[in-house]
Order: sequence, then structure tokens, then C-alpha cells
Amino acid sequence: MAHLFQVGVGSGGMPVLDMICRDASIHRVTIVEPDVYKPHNVERHLFALWGVGHSKADLARRWLLERRPDLEVCVLPWDLTDPGRQSAFHEAIEDADLGVCAADNEKAKYHFDSLMRQHSRPWTLGEVLSGGIGGFVHCFVPSGPCYGCVASFLKRTVPVDNSPAPDYSAPGGPVWETTIPASKASIEAIASLHALLSLDLLAGREPSFTTLLWTLARVPGVFEEPFRPYRFRVARAADCLICQARPTPSSLEELDVALDQALARLGNA
Amino acid sequence: MSLLESETGKRRLLSIEFPVIERYNEGRDPTYRIRLARQGNGLLLRYALKPAHNVYEMETRLVSSYPVVPPETRVLTPLKTCPHLLEGQTLCLWRQGSTRAASRWDPARFTCVFAIQAAWRWLACYEIWHETGEWPLPEAK
Repeated sequence: MAHLFQVGVGSGGMPVLDMICRDASIHRVTIVEPDVYKPHNVERHLFALWGVGHSKADLARRWLLERRPDLEVCVLPWDLTDPGRQSAFHEAIEDADLGVCAADNEKAKYHFDSLMRQHSRPWTLGEVLSGGIGGFVHCFVPSGPCYGCVASFLKRTVPVDNSPAPDYSAPGGPVWETTIPASKASIEAIASLHALLSLDLLAGREPSFTTLLWTLARVPGVFEEPFRPYRFRVARAADCLICQARPTPSSLEELDVALDQALARLGNA
Repeated sequence: MSLLESETGKRRLLSIEFPVIERYNEGRDPTYRIRLARQGNGLLLRYALKPAHNVYEMETRLVSSYPVVPPETRVLTPLKTCPHLLEGQTLCLWRQGSTRAASRWDPARFTCVFAIQAAWRWLACYEIWHETGEWPLPEAK
């Protein structure tokens, strides 16, 4: 009997949630999602058109209960990084067996990682690449690398973007960024892998890799072959500035005092 | 989570950022030391750099979502319009995009002092560009 803590039930997160919750081992789910379902979501989402205007978290809850009435579903319709909601997130994670991150921004991913490490919980993260050319699924365990270690490794070794450099002849001009949406088919392909690896981790079958990259299209200069898996075993970096422990005051009061003293000292350097 | 409000942010500052700033300042002429001030939920670093002939007054902002979001560095001393310079005389260093693949900033490996060293290199390039019309480093990919 397991408790799943999931952040994000957008077009990528909802199919993962649906597939994981079909497994009888799941008895409780906590969903964190602040967004409202909008008309432009319909094309790639499991939810129907009538759901437009409703909270995605409530629609996800309804979806699950229509298929698993026995499931206990708790909805936290807030931003994961909202400072005022952290105690509710800590409480839910402390009771959870597995975290699933389907957030689409770096700030939320780093914060999810921090929460999971604080509570020593395993978690997974799925990422569909722009244009649906492939995607990543990452598996994190308490003794392993953090998201910072993995992101840093991938940034240095796995190019997945061949977009042109900004136009420096026009300083202050717009910074070009890929905005090509992925197709529902490519989102579901990566979501299926994400769900499979999450269920494996939940069952105690830790994969032999940290990161799975699955290509879905041939992109010259990026992916030479479609439908090809790449597995990466990323080590915990000894010099990681995110997860390696360094001495700091233990209590919050001492931390605040030390911070004020350091700011006063460095303000008058 | 906010840099100055969250426990994670405070520990990052006390265990990583402040010690590297103190090492940077140690034995340095007061004119060139980094001075810190609170700015909202983030921090403002003020300092001066002299890559070659000129002294430049500088400002680096650690926004509330630092280190996930890269520092923003701008030159307070007036510059000529040049490549790699964004609005408000902000240096174009990491702003290639917001995704992991597109951003050049790495919160697991870089500190605010790394950003200051990158600014020093940018200014050295600026002085060469000013004299020759050529930016001496390749375009960022």
C-alpha cells in the first residue's frame, strides 16, 4: 500500500499519474498543481473540453476516482515553491513512498529535489524535449546524485538542442527560444516510460541507471537515430554545490543570526 | 523558494556564496572588494573591476530564485553600444534561454564569484572590441 506524491498534472504529468494509479499498490495520492485547465491544453490533455476553466488538480482527482473509487486523493492546488505552503508539502512528503515530478520549470524541479532529499524519499522526473524529439526520465534515490548533479552532467555531455545562438548584432533584441510543442503521441511515449520506471522504483527495483534518454525523431546534429535509448549512470558529484553538505548552524535561529552577521560584515567590506 | 527566506537559500549563502566572497575580498584593495546589500528577497553585489586600462563600476543581482536563476550583472559605468550587451547595460552571459539545455548557468557548479570572473572576462573583451572592432571570443552556442 503506497502513497504517491506528484507535482504537475499537465499534459505530461496526467498520463503518468493515470498509469501509476492503475497499479493496485497505490492507495493514496497527493496532487500538487496550481493551474487551471485552459482551451489550448485540450489538444494534448486527457481531460475533456468541458473541463476548461476548472482546476487541473480537481479534474485529475475526478479522473482518478472515476477509475479507482477506493483511492484516497488529496489535492494541494498551490505552487510547489510558495513559501506559505511549505509545511503542507513537508507533511505530505513525510508520509509518501514515492515522488513524481512532472513540473516544467527548473525552479520547481530544484525545489522538488530539495524536498525529497530532506525527507529521504525516492523520486522520478520526466521531461519531454521541445518538439517531441525525445525525452528524459530520471530516477533519484536518497543516496544518489541530486537533480543538480544530473542537470550539470547532462548540460556538459548530452546536447539536446541545436537552436541558433542569439542575434548579437541586435543587442537587447528577443532571445530566440524553441517553443515548438510536442505531440500528444510523443508526450505519452515518454510518460509511459516515466510511469514504468516509477512503478519499478516503488517496487524496490532500482534501475541500473540514473537517466534514460529516449529519442523519438532523427534531428541532424542532435539525434542521429530515432527510437534509440541512452542510459546514463550519473554519480553524485563530490563538488556539487546543491547536495554536498557543508557546515552551517543547525537551528533556524542560529542560521538567521549568522546570516545577519555575515551581511553586516560584507556590507561594510 | 526565496534566497533570503528559505532555509535552503540561507544555507547556500552561508556555506557557499559568503565564504567565496570573503576569499575574493581577502587582501584586495577596498576599491575592488565586493559589498553586499539586501534587495527585496535577493542580494545586490557592488564592486569595481579593472580588466586592463579602465575601472568599471559593477552591480550583480542575486534574484530571489538564485541559484536556479542565474545572477544578473550590469555595468554602471557608461559603455558604447556593443555586442553582447543587453538593455540597461546588462551583460549577455547566461541568457540564452530558460531551459536546462539552453541556459549556460550551472547552479551545481557556479557561484556568484564565478559570475564576477565572467564579467571581468566580458570587460576584457569589451576593451579589445573598443580598440579593434572585433569581439575576441567566439559566439556562444
